[in-house]
Amino acid sequence: MKEINMEVIHDAAHRLLFDMSESGYEMLLKEFDVLIQQMETIGKIEGLEDYEPMTFPFDCTVDVLREDIPETPLPRDEALKNAGNVQDHQIKLPKVVL
Amino acid sequence: MNFEAIIGLEIHVEMKTASKMFSGSPNTFTREPNTCVTPFDMAYPGTMPRVNKQAVINAIRVANALHMEIDPLVRFDRKNYFYSDLPKGFQITQQFHPIGKEGYLEILGKDGELKRIGIERIHMEEDTCKQLHFADYSLLDYNRAGVPLVEIVSKPDLRNGTEAMRYVEAIRNIVLYSGTSDGKMEEGSLRCDVNVSIRPYGSKGFGTKVELKNLNSTKNIELALDYEIARQTACLLSNREIAQETRRYDEASGKTVLMRVKTDAVDYKYFPEPNIAPIQLSMEFVQNAIDTCPELYDSKLARYLQNGLSQTDAEILLSNIDMASFFEEATVKDPKLSKIIANFLIVEINAYLNKNGIAMNTLGLNPETLSDIAAFQDAGYTHKQCADILNYVLENGGSAEEARLAKHIEKQSDNASEVLAFVTGVLDANPQSIEDFKAGKDRAKGFLIGQVMKAAKGKVNPAAVAKVMDEELAKR
Amino acid sequence: MSYLDLSIREIHQALVEKKTTPLELAKEALERAKANNDNAFEMLLEEEAILEASKLVEPEEDNLLWGIPYCLKDNFSTKGFETTASSNVLNGYVPLFDATVVSKLKEKKCVLIGKTTLDELAMGGTGTTGHKGITFNPYDPSHTHMVGGSSCGSAAVVAAGIVPFALGSDTGDSVRKPASYAGLVGMKPTWGRISRYGLFPFAPSLDHVGFFTRDVEDSAILLEALSGRDDMDSTSSFRPVDSYLPKEKSLKGKRIAVLSEIVDAISNKEVRASFDRAVKAMEDEGAIIDYVKFGLQDLEAIYATYIVISCAEATSNDANLDGIKFGAYHGGKTYREVMSNARTEGFSHLIKRRFIIGSFALMRENVDVLFTRAQKVRAKITARVNEILKDHDTIFLPAAPSPAPLLSASSDALSDEYLIADNHLALGNFAGLPSVTVPLSFVDGLPIGVNFMCRAFEEKELYNLASAFEKISGLAGLSTVSPKEARL
Repeated sequence: MKEINMEVIHDAAHRLLFDMSESGYEMLLKEFDVLIQQMETIGKIEGLEDYEPMTFPFDCTVDVLREDIPETPLPRDEALKNAGNVQDHQIKLPKVVL
Repeated sequence: MNFEAIIGLEIHVEMKTASKMFSGSPNTFTREPNTCVTPFDMAYPGTMPRVNKQAVINAIRVANALHMEIDPLVRFDRKNYFYSDLPKGFQITQQFHPIGKEGYLEILGKDGELKRIGIERIHMEEDTCKQLHFADYSLLDYNRAGVPLVEIVSKPDLRNGTEAMRYVEAIRNIVLYSGTSDGKMEEGSLRCDVNVSIRPYGSKGFGTKVELKNLNSTKNIELALDYEIARQTACLLSNREIAQETRRYDEASGKTVLMRVKTDAVDYKYFPEPNIAPIQLSMEFVQNAIDTCPELYDSKLARYLQNGLSQTDAEILLSNIDMASFFEEATVKDPKLSKIIANFLIVEINAYLNKNGIAMNTLGLNPETLSDIAAFQDAGYTHKQCADILNYVLENGGSAEEARLAKHIEKQSDNASEVLAFVTGVLDANPQSIEDFKAGKDRAKGFLIGQVMKAAKGKVNPAAVAKVMDEELAKR
Repeated sequence: MSYLDLSIREIHQALVEKKTTPLELAKEALERAKANNDNAFEMLLEEEAILEASKLVEPEEDNLLWGIPYCLKDNFSTKGFETTASSNVLNGYVPLFDATVVSKLKEKKCVLIGKTTLDELAMGGTGTTGHKGITFNPYDPSHTHMVGGSSCGSAAVVAAGIVPFALGSDTGDSVRKPASYAGLVGMKPTWGRISRYGLFPFAPSLDHVGFFTRDVEDSAILLEALSGRDDMDSTSSFRPVDSYLPKEKSLKGKRIAVLSEIVDAISNKEVRASFDRAVKAMEDEGAIIDYVKFGLQDLEAIYATYIVISCAEATSNDANLDGIKFGAYHGGKTYREVMSNARTEGFSHLIKRRFIIGSFALMRENVDVLFTRAQKVRAKITARVNEILKDHDTIFLPAAPSPAPLLSASSDALSDEYLIADNHLALGNFAGLPSVTVPLSFVDGLPIGVNFMCRAFEEKELYNLASAFEKISGLAGLSTVSPKEARL
């Protein structure tokens, strides 16, 4: 596992596109201590490896798919009305450099 | 030292379904931005994915054409990353359980030998929104967001640009003829990411991979790869290191140009998509998807050859799916006419399309009419006469028979005795012309043939007349 | 006391007999809402409620929900009304569509009075972290105890008698825990029973639509109205919707499992004593009580497992909150700046910490020992729950180890104590099982509740048990407006 330190969690925050105050990071470091220790304890639970990782609470497999029938799209102005910056019926951003 | 290139391709194909991969938004190409959008496509909170049945059917068909193992339990995963064109902040894809794996495709290698290219996986996913870039800003159009994609990942079995080109051509033919996609590289509905590295012959390791982008035609794939392989070889021979980077193909110079150096690989933090319950496809469903798949390129090619077409003609027809389907409709009535019909399509109709700058699918010609015109030729009308009829129909519409009557075209006889009777009659009536001909005036012969055609009211074949005329003149 | 304080069936009767009208009910609910000072509302829909209620003239006799006023947690999408999930990141966001449950209640002609507060993005259990500040417990006028969360506002408005029911969401215990603190019936049915379309996701594999009512029958009426397959949520179940109204209210012969480690972990003597009285009373009614050992190690794993799975899913679900398409826009010189300004300004500390934990759990180097391991623990724990329910009709437990804790003692930091009696309701989310909290008694004037959990899709059985229990406790119809005497 990746070692957890200030640099790593700052980097993680940066990759998640936000920043927070130093006190936030300090608190988070402490929380990681708690969590990692608990997860390590959990890792020692016997027989854990016999279980398949579970995404759904129970088997909810279906045999249906959506029919390929187009639905009415949103009126364009409505689709864009929540956006902070719109120009020419499109959302405008500072130039995205490829 | 000799090097060999290791080439792997990732091909993204936009499907031409009626609706998007996970939403009911219309999936239509339009220039009006943000007119094909539902709340899911813009990642409005609380919206949830709903898997498109036709997209699954298409993926099964392509997987089957690529001889892949199909997983009937359809599952999806999230690929998490932030980018301006990714509305949800993740893309729904099939990382852990692709719908198809372990397939292959056979292509003609550079040496003309059949070569088997392994295919690692095919999976379904969704497209991102389209960004239009201007001098100091970008605009986002969500029409493309959520368009169904299949991604086809080859094994690193390709060795040169020509093979890569043929591989892409073969994939394009499959997605095109299975009805999955229009497969247009120039419009981005078929997109290639190419990875290439080189290693000394006999070595088992892999060299540093370079990724090539901006490959918008199969020809460019060939050219870019051949250039890049030469560049990498030159690098190694002069002891320069090959950097892990992304390069762009510059069409004007025919060179690959550095776009960016790759930093550490992005961690996409994949995990199973909790909003899509696993979908168990029945064996019947899978089989039905395969059985109802439109006939694919290779099968059509074989059939065309069987119907007497040359390899070249068959390939020309099949290079335009609309022309091929027109051809098939036109040959339903009488498959014996295949060759004649193919010829009209390849020569006269192509010329007409080019002259008028229109596409095959907007041509206002009824396939049955072409079949009727071909039947005229089969019944003895000359190719020239039939071409006249065809051109008349193309310009004016109507049936083949109407055009024939309008153009006063009659079947010409090449019955020897009939022709001989006309020729003898004309020669007998024009002794002066015979003398002129004998005196070396070639024009006299043309006059005599004209007289024959006139007397026969055009019902005799000019070629047959010319032949008999020569024989008879020689006798006089 | 007014018609508003009756059960849904009784209000319905009064409406049908035209003793009251939807408009009268809506007006009274609005008045109570305005008089309330528990900070439970994101938004009161006064004009809209009055307009909608005044359209309801001819009572629909076969529709028990006709004209009933209600409130909605502000993480359900409401077309045309700002919905923020109590997060600044969504300030100004006006949804373009109604959540399926909102549409269903509209069809039933329920009248939406207001949208209620929550812990920011439903990620919390204290009712203190929303952008409007603390939501208080109606049973505590001194405002020193929490009402719990994350569905704090919805719990408060039903407990305060403002409306007969309110919708919430439950990812770990966000309906059933505050129901315990607020003396309410708090229900979360089987995963997939109610469509989640339009519910802002926290952790979809654990998320449930839930609701607060003042008695069990009201809860059953609602479940019937909200359940069913919805093509917009492809995880919603195709199983036909039952009639959930409790009929057989006898506990005779019912096999009831009590998880002994959890009961033993309760240090509050009054809670324990009250729970023991409840067990005794149920035995007296003919129930067979089994104290079952679940496995302490597994119970202690619940909390970390829950944190890892829910935070991992949340960091992904909330990646759409980038200020580009909707929500508060803060500008920026580059596209990344636009996104990071929106996220930096929009999320509180707590949320950011949870996102970092979630993304860390999914990183390539960590995923095996964090996320995947948590998913395996979930599988193991779920298997154990289902094993117990094979031999028992229900698992019965105190819903919380104490009455509502002091706000001063609340913390949203991860705790290193193994508070198994505080976290066990997440079992119902891990296994997706129907689970309902029902009032038990009062401790120091504050309500406490018990919880029943049954097999998947056995909501009918669950309500029968809860209804039988309600007869014993005598607390049906409880609110601060209509106080009741505790028996247990």
